[in-house]
Parts: sequence; C-alpha cells; structure tokens
Amino acid sequence: MSFNVYLPLRFWRQAQWRLVLLLVSLAQMTHATTLELHQAQAVVTVQGQTSRGEVSLPYHWDVHQRGLAGEATFELLFDLPEVPTVPFGLYVPRLGNAYEIWLNGVLLQRNGDLKRYNGPDYAKEPRFVEVEPDILRTDGNVFRVRIRADVGRRGGLAALKLGPEDEVYPLYASNFRWRSTGSQVIVILSLLIGLMALALWATQFDMAAPGQNQRDPLYLYAGLAELCWAVSVSDAVIENPPISWPWWGLLAFFSVSAWMVAMILFCAEVAGWSRLPAATWLRRWLMLVLVVSVAAGIGSLVYGEPLAMTLTYATLGLTALVFAVLVVVKSARGASMSHKIMAISLLFNALVGLRDLYVFRISPVYGSNTWLRYSSVLFGLTLGYIVLARFRTASAQVRDSLENLANEVKKKELELAQAYAGAERAARQQERSAERTRILRDMHDGVGAHISTAIRQLQSGKASDEEVLHTMRDSLDQLKMSIDAMNLPPGDVTALLANLRYRLEPRFKASDVDLQWDVDWIPPLVRLDDRAMRHLQFMVYEALSNVLQHAHAKTLLIEATPVLPFARIRVIDNGRGFDVTQPSRRGIRTMRDRATAVGATISFHSSPGHTVVEILIPVTV
Amino acid sequence: MWRVLVVEDDPLMREFFAGSVSHCDALQLIAAVGSVAEARTWLSRDASAVDVLLIDLGLPDGSGLEVIRLAIALNPVCEPLVISMFGDEDNVLASIEAGALGYIHKDSTPDDIAQTIMDMRKGASPISPMIARRVLFKYRFNESNKAVAPVDIAQIAIKNIADAAMATDTADSQSVLSPREHEVLSLIARGFSYGEIARLQGLTVHTVQTHIKKLYGKLSVHSKSEAVFEATRMGLLGIR
Repeated sequence: MSFNVYLPLRFWRQAQWRLVLLLVSLAQMTHATTLELHQAQAVVTVQGQTSRGEVSLPYHWDVHQRGLAGEATFELLFDLPEVPTVPFGLYVPRLGNAYEIWLNGVLLQRNGDLKRYNGPDYAKEPRFVEVEPDILRTDGNVFRVRIRADVGRRGGLAALKLGPEDEVYPLYASNFRWRSTGSQVIVILSLLIGLMALALWATQFDMAAPGQNQRDPLYLYAGLAELCWAVSVSDAVIENPPISWPWWGLLAFFSVSAWMVAMILFCAEVAGWSRLPAATWLRRWLMLVLVVSVAAGIGSLVYGEPLAMTLTYATLGLTALVFAVLVVVKSARGASMSHKIMAISLLFNALVGLRDLYVFRISPVYGSNTWLRYSSVLFGLTLGYIVLARFRTASAQVRDSLENLANEVKKKELELAQAYAGAERAARQQERSAERTRILRDMHDGVGAHISTAIRQLQSGKASDEEVLHTMRDSLDQLKMSIDAMNLPPGDVTALLANLRYRLEPRFKASDVDLQWDVDWIPPLVRLDDRAMRHLQFMVYEALSNVLQHAHAKTLLIEATPVLPFARIRVIDNGRGFDVTQPSRRGIRTMRDRATAVGATISFHSSPGHTVVEILIPVTV
Repeated sequence: MWRVLVVEDDPLMREFFAGSVSHCDALQLIAAVGSVAEARTWLSRDASAVDVLLIDLGLPDGSGLEVIRLAIALNPVCEPLVISMFGDEDNVLASIEAGALGYIHKDSTPDDIAQTIMDMRKGASPISPMIARRVLFKYRFNESNKAVAPVDIAQIAIKNIADAAMATDTADSQSVLSPREHEVLSLIARGFSYGEIARLQGLTVHTVQTHIKKLYGKLSVHSKSEAVFEATRMGLLGIR
C-alpha cells in the first residue's frame, strides 16, 4: 500500500480487482454444494425402437424426436464430497409430459401415466422434490428419470439442480412464480378485460357512425382477443385439459392466432383505418392466415410437422410487425393519444412475439418462459385508456349538451317572458283603446252634441241667450257625469243615483218641482260594468230631464229598491204625461236601446197626472 | 266682513271670482293673483289678513295644495276654499286633506260663489255623495284593516309612539268618524240632502253642516298624522 501514496490510479485498479475476486468467491460459496447435472445416459424408445446413448440436458423431445411420441429413461450419475447433513432439494425446471424421478432406487416423485399417450400434461410446471439426506451417499449416486413424451407438447427433461433446500428452493419458487402464478394472473386479467370489452360492445353504440346506431367493433375485437388470449395462456397452467391432446393443443394454438388477428383488427379500429380499402385486404389476409393456422396446427400437432406452426407464427408476427411499423409511422406524424399508446403496445408486442418465436420455435432452449403473455397486458391497458378517454369525451359532451340545454331553456324563458310582456302590453293597449272608444262616444253623444247644438243655436240667431246657456250647462253636466261615471264604483246603483241628484241639484232648485228621494241601499250589481253604469246614468238622466223640461210636474219621486230578483228604479211625476206609444218621443227609443244594451228592461206608463218610468235590472248575472 | 284672497291663473275666471267676491257686501277682496309665487308673497307678507283663500289647484308654477298648506300653517283660522272644475273626488279629497274646508264649481253663478263662501264661514261645508262614500270607504277600510291584518308588532309600536306625539293637537285619530258622522256620511252617500238628513236624524240642518265641517278638519289632521306615521315608518323622523 505504501506505493500507492503517489499512485492513486493504481490504487483504484487494485481495489477494482479485489472487488471482482470477492464477488467470484462469494458466488462459489453460494453454489459450492449445488450440483447442476447436465449429462445423462438415455434410453429412448420410439415406435418400438430403442436407442441408447449419452445426451446432454436439456433434452427437448420435440427437437430430438420430431413428430413422434415415445418414452425415455435418463440416468444421471454423480458424486458428493460428503453426505449432507441438511435437507436437500431437487429442482427440475421442466420435465414430462409424464414422469417418474428415482434416486438411488427410491421413487422421489411421479406424475402422470407413462403409458397413457396424449393424457394429462405434467410438463407445464417446474418441479421441486425434497431429498432426505440419508438417501444420498458420497459415491455412485444415480438419478433415474423416466418420461413419457407426446407429439409437439414440449416434453423432455431439463438439467437437474440438486443442493441444500434453502439454496435450490428459491430457484424453483422464482420460476414457479413466473410460469404458473403469473400465467394464472394473466388468464384472470384477460378474462375480465375480455368480458368487460364484450359488455361494452353489447351495450355501447357508436353515435358518430353514419346511419343508425351501431355497435362499436373496436370492443368486439378487443373482447375476442382477450378471451382467446385467456384460453391460450391457460394452456400453461392446466395440466389436465378438458379435451384431449392434440385437440387441446390445437385450440391453444388457434387461440394465439385468433388473438393476434383480433388484436391487429382492434389496432386498425383504433387507428381509424377500418374503413380504408386497404383494411379489406388486411382482413382477408388475416382470415386466410387464421384458416391456414388450423391446418398448420393439425400438421404440427397431429402429423408432427412443427415447422408448420412456426411458419404460421412467423407469418402472423411479421404481419403484426409490418402493421406496427405503419401505425408507428402514422403516430409519428401526429395522431391521437389512443393511437400513440396503441402503436407502442403493438410494436412492443410484435418484437416480444418475435423474440418468443425465436426462443421457443427456433433455438433449442428448453424450460424457458414466454414473455408475450406479460407484454400482452399492454393491450389491456390500451383498451382501458381508450375506454376512459371515450367516457371522458362522452361526459364532456353530456356536460356541453346540458349547458346548451340550460341556455336554450333560459333563452326560451326569456322569449316567453317577452311574449308574455307583449301580450300584456297588447291587453293594456286594448283596454286603453276600449276606454278611449267609450270616452269618445261619451264626448260625441254628450258634450259634442251639446256644443254643436249651442253653435247651431248661436248661428241661427233664433235661440235666446237663456236657451244657449241651458245647452252649455247641459254640456258641462254631461262632462261632469262622464267623469263621475269613471269614478263610480262598478254596479253601485245607489251611488249612481245619489251622484246624479247631486249634479242636478241646481236644476232641481231652479225648477218648482218638489223632489222626493226614496233611495234604499242596493248591493252592488256585478253585471253592471263601467259601460253599463254609463248607460244607466244616461237613462235616469234622460228620464229626469224629461220631467224637468216637459212634464210641468209639481212633484217628482225618485225610488230605488231591491225587488228581487231585480233592482228597481222608478221615476214618478204628476205632470201632464205623454203618449208612450210614440217611440220617437223624448228619447224613448234611445232609452230602450240602452236598457237592452245592459240587459235591463225599461217601461213607461203615462196618464195625465201620473207618469212612471221603471227600470228593472236583474240582480244576478 | 271677511277678507278674501283669490288665486286663479285664468284671467277671465280670476276676474269673475274677484267680481263675485267684490259684489258681496259681506266679503272684501284683498287681492286676486295668478300663481303660487304671488300667493306665497301675499301670505308671507301678512297671512293673518286672509280669512278666506279661494284657490285653483292647477296653477302654472305649482299646485294650489302647497298654498293651502302654507296658509293654514301661517294662519290656522284661515279657511281655504278650492275652485274645482268638476268637483271630482280625487282632487277634492286631496284638497280636504291639505286643509281645505270646501270647494266651489267653476261654473257656479256669481251669487252661488258668494253664498258658498258665506255658508262655509257660517259652518257649512259642501260634500258630494261620491266624496262621502269615498271617505266612508277609506276609513272603514282602515278600521277593518287594523282588525284583520297581521300587523308587524314593531309597526304598531311605532304608530303608537307617532300617535302619542300627535296627541297634543289632535283627537283620537284611531276613530276618525264618530257614529253620528258615520251615519250622516252614509245618508249623504245615498243621495239625501242635508234637510232630509236632518229630518231623518232629528237634527237641525245646521248641526248636520257642522258635522261635515268638523269632519273636514278631522280628515285634514288625520292625513297629517298619517303622514307622520308614514314618515316615522320610513325612518324620516327620529322617533324611536
């Protein structure tokens, strides 16, 4: 170390070197007692022919005995430096399809029937067997492993690992976790996603599609793909399939093909390419590959030509890769987030699929695991994102619609309010106009007529001042009564009469007539509106005027009393009377017309010394 | 001899009224003016010189009601008489509430005018059936309102305080109309003359007339207390 004082670089190199040595020695310590057995004496029997020979493990049956079923016995010899004191374990990554494991003549484990070809498959799980230390010895230990292998079923024997249980078991557990537990999770996940996608397909309609509502094929493809994937991955965990080999294998293989086809179609939907003319060709091509895959599966699993299956996988994988490249190119040129996520999933899975194809179908690796089953989860996530994005869009649309609806309602309310205000204005206008008409008529019949008369009287020069004055007074009286009529409480006959008397008081005073007033209080008559009150006012005024001007009476009695079902008004005088049969006289016709207009009756009885004008107004409507 | 101030904007009418007053021996015309401003000037100079104010409501620079209020304020014994074209109830009632003790029609004869002034001085105020009815209705309505409406307690309290504040110069304003007044008003509303009412009620015509004149005063005071009440309610006066 003293040299290193002025050579720090050297010191650093030495430290590195020491670290490497330390790691190597640690690794040696870890595996010091674990044996990995690669060499075996094999006795292989195929179609009655038995052959012997030295083989190195892993022994992949489908590679060595392509297209044939058979059985084999492997003998593996090994020595131990000492008889172990701790429990040992044996870990075999893969063996089967049925097997027996013997150690020094002791049966350690047996699974399946060695004679029953195409029966249950026990080559799916890694195996771990506890080994009692007392079976082992230092020299001449023998593992004897017997297997039965079916055609195209990944039978064979992987290298054996023997060592202390606490060292070997974790290796087994890790492999088991990835191959079995992981696969179970994938199967369940795929089933869930698939069923959810199918439920969405059954319930959701694509509103944007032209024509009538249409189910969205995107969900159908995703659902079918996930279900197919669940079936194919389940092959990795089901040892005793519901249908016999090779049909089960055929189904699993077909499911993989169908998964790939459905996924490519799903991606085409996401990319929005399903309506392109090229999509028709893509669909035809995929259908063709799917049909061919059935034949390839039969050729591979029944007739022992695994190349058929490999080629089918390769074809689908390359199709997916080419498609993925197109999708990636499109997404690089700007596409939706769904499209981008889908592009990444597709490209990644295509690459992983090709890796798996190489590892499983081309290289002689035995006992490895597919990666595709895990990478396929990306498709599920893609679908999840698409569904979420769609729901977000849909709820935004709903919010927009609601907002629009609220705005519409507000607008309509405003319009309604305006229309209502307009109607009210019109009604008020109509009311004003009716009122105006009434006032104009009043002015025409009353003040107007009197002023015209006065003008005529003055122009003719024949009328005396007294007569003109009388006319003008009449005119002002009419005007006052018009104004009073506006203020008269509707239907109040008593008030009407009282007011009339008040207005005519100067005239009564001026005449010699003895006025007798006999007016009872009469409850207001609902049927008499403003117009009717004015008519009634005119009628009574006319009757009183007649008495004052023409009757030469000494007494004038004004009576008003309820005589149910009428209110009765009578004007009685003891003047000279008149001929009631001459309707033109003394405004009788006008009075009759006005009576008719208000639904009342007016009658005249006249004889010298006793004249009665009687008005009967029905009390009820 | 009663001194009369005429306020009328139409020169012809003014001349007519002035003439009517001048021709009566019992009356003395002190002035005939045509605007609120002129009337104000006259009144502020010496309001006590005016016994009777004969006034038109529609004046070019304001309402005759202002002048009536001013005259009463300056000289409470002054008796305003309103010149009305139609004797329509809205204007007449407003005048009474401002303090007028009668009204006179524009188309009255000169004698009528002088007579009406004399009658009023002697205690006779004219009232038409329409106005009688309106007064009846208004105060009956008020009474029934008090009985029925669930009045805010705070308002009642305020009103009581306002009434107490007014109690120095007014009779109990809660009951504006005495039963006798109510009856007289009812008969007037039905069209009976003062003479007929006097006969029916066993009174003299003079008593009936006095009732009416007193009623005028009450209505005026009541309208003032109402104004105080309203002002208090609206927070214009500092009564708490």
